[in-house]
Amino acid sequence: MQQRVWRFERVGWYVLVVIVLLGLAGVFGNGPLSNAQVTSADGRLHVEYQRLSRSGTTDSLRITVRGSAREPIMVLLDGSLLREASIETLQPQPQASLSQGKAILLQLGTSEDGIATLYLTVRSESVGTLEGIVRAGPSSAVHFTTFLFP
Amino acid sequence: MDSILRAAGMYVALMLLFRVAGRRSLADLTTFDFVLLLIIGEATQQALLGDDFSFTNAMLVIATLIVLDVGLSLAKLNSKPLARLLDGHATLVVEHGRFLHHRMRRVRLTEDDILESARDSQGLEKVEQIKFAIVERNGKISIIPDE
Repeated sequence: MQQRVWRFERVGWYVLVVIVLLGLAGVFGNGPLSNAQVTSADGRLHVEYQRLSRSGTTDSLRITVRGSAREPIMVLLDGSLLREASIETLQPQPQASLSQGKAILLQLGTSEDGIATLYLTVRSESVGTLEGIVRAGPSSAVHFTTFLFP
Repeated sequence: MDSILRAAGMYVALMLLFRVAGRRSLADLTTFDFVLLLIIGEATQQALLGDDFSFTNAMLVIATLIVLDVGLSLAKLNSKPLARLLDGHATLVVEHGRFLHHRMRRVRLTEDDILESARDSQGLEKVEQIKFAIVERNGKISIIPDE
């Protein structure tokens, strides 16, 4: 019996070590394994996001769009992630922000090389998989999913 | 990842701080010491959890602290110098009925503290009746009476 208790303690400790190492790697958010990025098929749209995260924490989301120089671009944010989560900060402020159905349509100014970047921090209280969709024009779209631990 | 690093950092920092604070056993805590410990706990909690109140984060922090604690005790088993460094060693403060004042200053104990312990644990009234008094690694004073 005592032997079994000792073995349980030892194995339990190794399990905890593994959990901590996984946590360091980012399995529970905020680490190398949870940082992810996705680019649209035509390469115009690039999104950096957290693949894994925890409910109730803020996550940063970076959206880069390539357009023509000095011309505003329309970016559409859709999906359960952007509906369920609250957007805490949005930088830089878009020139215009409209709603389109359940989605948000943002007008971004571009720099001389035609690139617009949008930094968002989002916080969600829900648990489970959330999906985000970002569109720029009819041809460029990006889907990504984030899993939120409780 | 950040919460694990924070927990590990806090563990090391607290260990250093409490090594500086010296040994005091839980039974010897004054009310003020106790309140101080509560405040330290509150301050630590803020830094450990930040604004992340998720279940996963709490479990990660707890797991990190336990891993470090058990890991250190395993390391202490294998390395005597490490054990000395982390736990210190027992200090003799009374030898054959004589106070060792120099050592008592170092461990911040007065004659009254030792006599109190002697009365409490062995029912001795005078220092002459004490063969050895030893401050243990956890801060408790052990009294060995003279026969």
